[in-house]
Amino acid sequence: MAERKIKVIIAKPGLDGHDRGAKVVARALVEAGMEVVYLGLQQTPETIVGAAVEEDADVIGLSILSGAHMTNFRKVRELMVGAGLGDRLLTGGGIIPTKDQDKLKELGVGRVFGPGDDLQDIVDYIRRNARRTSK
Amino acid sequence: MKGPPVEKKPSRAWKEKFEGSGLRDADFSSISGRPLEPLYTWEDAAVADPGARLGFPGEFPYTRGVHPSMYRGKLWTMRQFAGMGTPDQTNERYRFLLEKGQTGLSVAFDNPTLYGRDSDHQLAVGEVGKTGVAVDTLADMERLFAGIPLDQVSTSMTINAPAAWIFAMFLANAEKRGIGFDKLRGTLQNDILKEYIAQKEWIFPPEPHLRLITDLMAFCAAEVPQWNTISISGYHIREAGSTAAQELAFTLADGFCYVEHALAAGLDIEDFAPRLSFFFNSHLDFFEEIAKMRAARRIWARAMRDKYMAKSPRAWLCRFHVQTAGCSLTAQQPELNIVRTALEALAGVLGGCQSLHTNSMDEALALPSEKAVEIALRTQQIIAFESGAANVIDPLGGSYYIEKLTDELEAEAERYFRRIDELGGVVKAIEQGFFQREITRAAYEYQMALSRRKKFHVGVNEFVNPGEKLEIPLLEIDEAVERDQVAFLRRTKAERDNGAVRESLDALKAAAAGGRNLMPPLLECARRYVSLGETSDALTEVFGQYREQPFY
Amino acid sequence: MSSIQESLWADFFAGGRLACARLITAVENDPDALPEILDRIIPAQRGGFRIGVTGPPGVGKSTVTAALARRAVRAGHAVGILAVDPTSPFSGGAFLGDRIRMQDLGDGRRVFIRSMASRDGHGGLSPATRYAADVLDAFGLDRIFIETVGVGQAELDVIGCSDLVVLVLQPGTGDIIQALKAGIIEAADLVLVNKSDLQGTEALLESLRFMMDIRPVRKDRPFPRVLEASALLDRGMDEAAAEVERLIGDCVGSGRHREKRLHRLEQEIRSAIQRWLWEDFAALAGADESIRAVAEELLSAGRSPYSYIRETCSRVRVGFRDERAARGKEA
Repeated sequence: MAERKIKVIIAKPGLDGHDRGAKVVARALVEAGMEVVYLGLQQTPETIVGAAVEEDADVIGLSILSGAHMTNFRKVRELMVGAGLGDRLLTGGGIIPTKDQDKLKELGVGRVFGPGDDLQDIVDYIRRNARRTSK
Repeated sequence: MKGPPVEKKPSRAWKEKFEGSGLRDADFSSISGRPLEPLYTWEDAAVADPGARLGFPGEFPYTRGVHPSMYRGKLWTMRQFAGMGTPDQTNERYRFLLEKGQTGLSVAFDNPTLYGRDSDHQLAVGEVGKTGVAVDTLADMERLFAGIPLDQVSTSMTINAPAAWIFAMFLANAEKRGIGFDKLRGTLQNDILKEYIAQKEWIFPPEPHLRLITDLMAFCAAEVPQWNTISISGYHIREAGSTAAQELAFTLADGFCYVEHALAAGLDIEDFAPRLSFFFNSHLDFFEEIAKMRAARRIWARAMRDKYMAKSPRAWLCRFHVQTAGCSLTAQQPELNIVRTALEALAGVLGGCQSLHTNSMDEALALPSEKAVEIALRTQQIIAFESGAANVIDPLGGSYYIEKLTDELEAEAERYFRRIDELGGVVKAIEQGFFQREITRAAYEYQMALSRRKKFHVGVNEFVNPGEKLEIPLLEIDEAVERDQVAFLRRTKAERDNGAVRESLDALKAAAAGGRNLMPPLLECARRYVSLGETSDALTEVFGQYREQPFY
Repeated sequence: MSSIQESLWADFFAGGRLACARLITAVENDPDALPEILDRIIPAQRGGFRIGVTGPPGVGKSTVTAALARRAVRAGHAVGILAVDPTSPFSGGAFLGDRIRMQDLGDGRRVFIRSMASRDGHGGLSPATRYAADVLDAFGLDRIFIETVGVGQAELDVIGCSDLVVLVLQPGTGDIIQALKAGIIEAADLVLVNKSDLQGTEALLESLRFMMDIRPVRKDRPFPRVLEASALLDRGMDEAAAEVERLIGDCVGSGRHREKRLHRLEQEIRSAIQRWLWEDFAALAGADESIRAVAEELLSAGRSPYSYIRETCSRVRVGFRDERAARGKEA
């Protein structure tokens, strides 16, 4: 009996190689029973959303520590809506100041996580908020 | 007078009392997961043959310090890593820090620069000047160091993949200002192996990068003799989540790899080895860090003298810079980071570092503000001038715990060296994902330990202030920085002699394909205001682009 | 009972990539929707070729697949890749890390990459893999690479799913041949020794040649060619891709392709009937619970289960006998 698994894409857009957080979160999500497509480094919003389409992903998670979060989240969100993935969860983590987090919410981005956030909280959040279109 | 009969193990009586008393339900292992005894005594100490294992400061095996006088002779360099926005803005920060008593400069570059790309590259969008200063051409170097006496202040540049051509720009700037290369003092990080292992800032595959490194080493040995050509780094490996033993082992293994490459390229160990330096993390577990640094000196000295047969004692020295652990900082209750940094800095000093960077309290959130960086600098000054920690050399030497820990870390490192040898050396181990897997595993285990509350992070998983609001004034990088930098780059490109640019790039490619030392053609390119990105592209044509085989 | 909306079908047949992805999700997650999906897809299939890429872990299957796919695109084909990774038996989750090694396939529009977890495939392919390949075929892709996990059953599962099997090996990993399941080398159409720049290539080639000498000759076709390559250094892959195309040509021309598709269809019929009959039976007879209760009794009494089995089956056959009798009357 096939069960529905939550499919998550984890990616790092732009030029930043610090992937410790992304890898740890990816692993925690796998341990929690999710199917995680790890796209890795130097992704562009286009490659990320292109993969999300092919994978029919429920969740896109971006890891951004470089300060370029507004640019990247905005662009990914735009592309998601354009590709028909507007109802999927866009989340992520890294170094994102609180006031920018508010701006991101207005764009339709979900909660974002930062240094010190508990892994279990992240897993629970994704599990509760991963969205699926109905057939 | 006779006391009670001496038992075989004097600790037995105490041990019984210890086990009989109530113990706290807590995890008493180190932050790296190392199990620790409740007490270390003369039964543990490596006091057999202290002459060979410890020696004296400034004497083989240098466990107690690289110089005979250590901080009595000269304090560690207080070198705060800094860089943001445009070169003009960074120049202002440098002058501020020098005024406040900093004794050396340390340049932080932005992401596009670290990857060898210009500020107008498509992947650079949104990242220019955000995590460091943007440098595209010699014109930016000129602005960066305007009014700073490069022959009096030592400069450390944290750059790896394009280090050689950034250094060429630095040299070209000194040349323009009439400063002889022999007067220049400083360090280039230039440690490409740890990029493949941890930080991921590369351009080409390993061999061309290693060749660039040996070219630079040969060039400096002849032309820039006071320059430290590599800062072999463990900091980033630790930040990626490794344990202390892994940081120690992988860093020194990288060092051995560079030595072997330089020897294979025909360089003289007596020439290049004295200019190798190291860069370690100083993390939260106070004693483990001190032991790690002492073990590093001992391991390196033995290897250089006995394995690589270096004759000059200057070649045996593991001189190192320390930075307090960025990954230990919290966004929650950020003032606590001042305390963490102080403890970590003290460990660096007691570990015998040659230079030290202390993190600012707001760095979990953003690049440091002026106020925060001043406090960080003052932290070092308090340690140096108030605490007495600098009065006695290697003050923890002889502590049963510290000596035992030093021995253990050394033994763990040796085990890792054997494993790496079995895999065929550092480069092969990188290709097989050995380091990456070890580090990822350690990172995950630590995170799980935090989740399960076996390990604590105050303000984060214990002693949390629910609903706290962050009141720290944060440094923001204006979006105008990117616009201004791009505009400046375009102007520079328009005003330079583009014919000369093309010539110097052709000469560079020819030298790259022909196996000649690349520093002279790189210097020529720098003089002509060839940009960082143009240089990277030209060399990529010859060397190819590296594609990582990812490991988890 | 869930169903697929008409608008989704319209999108799919118009070439909508998200619609294609959603259909693959449907075949993965919704066995009830499978018949109606296959009803619509099978007529739309154009004979897209399924190329299985299998081999032990770590030999570079993803890199090889990407290299072959790149060349197929250059040659003008529309390419699909199904990259299967193992589901953890403990957590039920899966780390899908193959497509990260396939980033550089040039024109994104001509390649469709989908990662799949093996789910309850008993360590082998996901049972949905073959249906996902059907979806990609109906989508218009004519070269569909199926890259497997490479452990346990997967290597044998891929033979059932594919029209052609490429076995990837690498030198220097000890007695790799002994370690391979009996059957996989015979079933391979092409053996590719990857990472041929490493030591031990000659020794591996020797072992392969020796192996092929001592096995009985394959009845239906010659032994697979053995090629060496380095996918990472991009060497030898032109020859490998050319050989794949040549094999495809052979496979179609000799009628083997049709054989395989026939076989897959037969398999589908058999396995679906088995599944459905069992499900109906289980529902009617409360099979799971009663079987457990019966087994408890039998174990305590030390008796064989066959009287129970015969009696249960005969209850079902009553229905068949009546139908046969009815048909007999008509004849």
